[in-house]
Amino acid sequence: MPVSWTLLIVLALALAGYLATRARAVAQTGGDTRKLHSRPSYHGWNAALLTALPALFLIAIWRFVQPAANTTLVAVAGLALAALGLALALGRTGPAFRARNAVETMVKGLLILCSSIAILTTAGIVFSMLFETGNFFQQYPWQDFFFGTTWSPKFGGGSQLGILPLVWGTMYISLIALAVSVPIGLFAAIYMSEYASPRLRSIAKPAIEVLAGIPTIVYGLFALITVGPLLRDYFAQPLGLGASGSSVMTAGLVMGIMLIPFVSSLSDDIINAVPQSLRDGALGLGSTHSETIKKVVLPAALPGIVGAILLAASRAIGETMIVVMGAGASAQMSVNPFEAMTTITVKIVSQLTGDTDFAAPETLVAFALGLTLFVVTLILNIIALYVVRKYREQYE
Amino acid sequence: MNDMRTLERAVEQTENKISARDVQVWYGDKHAIKDVNVDILDKTVTAFIGPSGCGKSTFLRCLNRMNDTIDISRVEGKIMLDGEDIYDRRVDPVQLRARVGMVFQKPNPFPKSIFDNVAYGPRIHGLARNRAELDEIVERSLRGAALWNEVKDRLQDPGTGLSGGQQQRLCIARAVATQPEVLLMDEPCSALDPIATGQVEELIDQLRAEFSVVIVTHSMQQAARVSQKTAFFHLGNLVEYGSTDDIFTNPRDPRTESYISGRIG
Amino acid sequence: MSDATFSGGQKASLLVADPHTRKRNAAESRFRGYGLAAIIVSMVMLVVLLFTILTGGLGAFRQTYLEIPVTLDAAQLDKSGTRDPEAIKKVLTLTYGKILQQALDKAIADKGIQVADLSDKDRAGLISKEASAQLRNRVLADPELIGQTVETRVLVNGRVDGYYKGRVSMESAARDGNTSPAQLQLADALKAQGMLATTWNWSFLTMPDSSDQRPESAGVGIAILGSLYMMLVVLVLSVPIGVAASIYLEEFAPKNRWTDIIEVNISNLAAVPSIVFGILGLAAFINFAGLPQSAPIVGGLVLTLMTLPTIIIATRAALKAVPPSIRDAALGVGASRMQSVFHHVLPLALPGILTGTIIGLAQALGETAPLLLIGMVAFVKNFPAAPPDGLFDPASALPVQVFNWTQRADPAFMERASGAIIVLLVFLLCMNLLAIFLRRKFERRW
Repeated sequence: MPVSWTLLIVLALALAGYLATRARAVAQTGGDTRKLHSRPSYHGWNAALLTALPALFLIAIWRFVQPAANTTLVAVAGLALAALGLALALGRTGPAFRARNAVETMVKGLLILCSSIAILTTAGIVFSMLFETGNFFQQYPWQDFFFGTTWSPKFGGGSQLGILPLVWGTMYISLIALAVSVPIGLFAAIYMSEYASPRLRSIAKPAIEVLAGIPTIVYGLFALITVGPLLRDYFAQPLGLGASGSSVMTAGLVMGIMLIPFVSSLSDDIINAVPQSLRDGALGLGSTHSETIKKVVLPAALPGIVGAILLAASRAIGETMIVVMGAGASAQMSVNPFEAMTTITVKIVSQLTGDTDFAAPETLVAFALGLTLFVVTLILNIIALYVVRKYREQYE
Repeated sequence: MNDMRTLERAVEQTENKISARDVQVWYGDKHAIKDVNVDILDKTVTAFIGPSGCGKSTFLRCLNRMNDTIDISRVEGKIMLDGEDIYDRRVDPVQLRARVGMVFQKPNPFPKSIFDNVAYGPRIHGLARNRAELDEIVERSLRGAALWNEVKDRLQDPGTGLSGGQQQRLCIARAVATQPEVLLMDEPCSALDPIATGQVEELIDQLRAEFSVVIVTHSMQQAARVSQKTAFFHLGNLVEYGSTDDIFTNPRDPRTESYISGRIG
Repeated sequence: MSDATFSGGQKASLLVADPHTRKRNAAESRFRGYGLAAIIVSMVMLVVLLFTILTGGLGAFRQTYLEIPVTLDAAQLDKSGTRDPEAIKKVLTLTYGKILQQALDKAIADKGIQVADLSDKDRAGLISKEASAQLRNRVLADPELIGQTVETRVLVNGRVDGYYKGRVSMESAARDGNTSPAQLQLADALKAQGMLATTWNWSFLTMPDSSDQRPESAGVGIAILGSLYMMLVVLVLSVPIGVAASIYLEEFAPKNRWTDIIEVNISNLAAVPSIVFGILGLAAFINFAGLPQSAPIVGGLVLTLMTLPTIIIATRAALKAVPPSIRDAALGVGASRMQSVFHHVLPLALPGILTGTIIGLAQALGETAPLLLIGMVAFVKNFPAAPPDGLFDPASALPVQVFNWTQRADPAFMERASGAIIVLLVFLLCMNLLAIFLRRKFERRW
């Protein structure tokens, strides 16, 4: 691989630059380094960074933008730039040269670059999906996508790709998940922060955190091999509501369990942010502990809790593995929670795995689904983060 | 120092409301209150004074069992309210606190409307049979706290929007609305400016007509202005208890004298 | 005491709870009960979850083997008699299958085992289809074995294995096309002779995935390696970038619109659904940059982008926890801001950064959805090479392997899936314990 060889040579040049420039800086003062503006190693670092950084950036960007580029050409250009940087640094070294400032400016530039990666990621997400979504809407009318009530992709043309059944499934499952997780998570948080003895807290809090650390694939498997069959055999079939192990209820319940620690840890923070003086005020008037919580603490914490629920909703909408393994794949709009339905995320996975043809609308629709999902969760997140932030500022 | 029964001045009708006998309080290993004996009179303002950390607030919080909310605190001895031990196992602190109300150092109105703040106590204790009665209690309490005229047109505004002095008077109205017998005030003016302090002090003087008021203060001038009885605490001990005039003009204990004259504090 | 009605009844005794208070106290107890119930429900869920996975998956760590002497007939395996590796390679797996079959038949005959209704198919089906390939590999590695009779551990069919793990019964076998009661009786007879046993199965951790017909030979070897490679990429990329970004945002960034946008962006990225990162990976790294599908490098890049917000948030918290007095002290002796950060603040924040990094890595290790989109579900039978080149070879990953196995028809794969989850959870447990240990060891109160 010529690229890795080039990289090694650039790094070697940088090391050589460090040593040579450092020695030169010392030599220029006749051994009395106090005459230097900056410590000798800063002169060395200046050379090393000037040698390596521009060359590495050139190579990385070139390789990424034009993957098919002639590797020799890239390597030569990179090495030339490295040599140029080294020569420049060697030439500038001298007692008066402010090497430390130069190095710090370069390091700061690097830091800024790293912090911009977050922006680049978001931009990458938006552009990669916008582009393909545009292609999709050239082949498939957007009205039919957003308002169509039938989802039946057919490889070979004539697909109907209406998002509504997927939205229905997503909402239904998320609603069940929230119905499970919000009361349990909230009550767990209340008990933990207001009532629990230190001993119970020291057991229950890590246990709930463990739930939060379990990967979603584990919950998916739990839905598939335990909860699904259980619900089918003991609820759906006896009640005559269906014979499917994967169902809205299965996915919703398991997702609810997954969200319990999420809701409870967020609520815990928020409840703890309510000032003790309000609790004292209520207790001093003769409230019972629960009256204090219900009538003073919770109303005061309400905006924060709403924010937490919105964040949980955004999680539920974007969750993938649990619904892939627990909800089924049939796109339908039914009210029976024991029937298999499907979600936006499930369809993204099924349209983008296996044999994909990036010219066919059946594949491209996944990008439109992804963009829709991204926009919805983004709006939820922004509102939630804003609400929580405002709430915190109120008590700071 | 040993004789806590002081001469009863004929200022007010006097009747023991609360009597404390050999009260000890521990916070974990720290012995915060030692052997305190005191009788608090009805329809009287009693001031607790002393340097910070002397235990005056701690003792105040014992009187309506607010110390219960702190896990590590432990109270021994007897505190009698109208002859009944408030630390008896059968006593529900909730019921006790309805009769011994409390106002805190920092104004702490609930993030609700002014009306709901005052109506909170009557609602939880079921003091009003209907809305008209509740309205009447709220008005009476706000008038009692000398706040009615300032807020009568904006009862539905949030209580947190009032000024500091108004907030503290709102908290007093809130405590009064529960119709307590004793009102405990923990440095109620320490977060207020001088004008608001004057208003609250005036109010305290009026409250004496209906309640037994116990006020903790770090300001000796304030104690002198508002109280009839004063108790001086030092390092967890009740050093001296007597009529305010005696304490300030003729202290018997050298520690009291040092504190009054500003040598310790 | 005398005044029973509570209408501001001033003189009601404290020692007797009035009806209103009793009602309120009952409500208090109920409320507490709800809270306790919520905690108990969550804990029970945790226990049930772990219990079902453990009971379902421990079977994957045990495997049924047949222990028989196999005569490696030179006439069949090396007709030229030269032991030339090239010549031996020409002998197909099929031939080794026949050799194993002969060995089994001989063993049955030697021990005089009689089973009613035993068909040829039942006898042939007892041995796993993978066993002949394993024997061939063994011979290729050591051609001197040819001509000898060697004791060989032979994998048996997944159904027979399931029979000893309680997954298959005589009744279900009667309805099953892949096994029969007679075959199971034969297995029982062999077991009685001590030739067949269910033992600890190390190879579950080392073997690659296997095809639909051979659950008995499926392992997580490639998946562990693939996950390891990805974690390597994540570690190498996300830690320096994340720490650098945090240092800038926490120590140098001016308060302006741009940094505001970055901040909001990071907290939003932390909440973007993981599948969206998969779409990004597919579009940017595979379709645009032309990196290979199923490669750990792509998985690592996607997981890096996902992990960055976590690491940045944790690192910033750690930096924030270092008191300003430390910075002031450094600046006070004439250090530049950069020096004060790199010489003093960063070392002090290191434990917090480490803990955050480990937690971020643990999250990345368990992530599945984005990997599905970049082709890591593909069936991979060959181990990837050593890094760095191996990063571009196809590989699997632990959580994806789990998903892959749940999509197979044979229930034996469910056991493998649960087994793989156990491996995954053990890794996660170790990482979290390490994080807790580091936090405890270096915890500092200012």
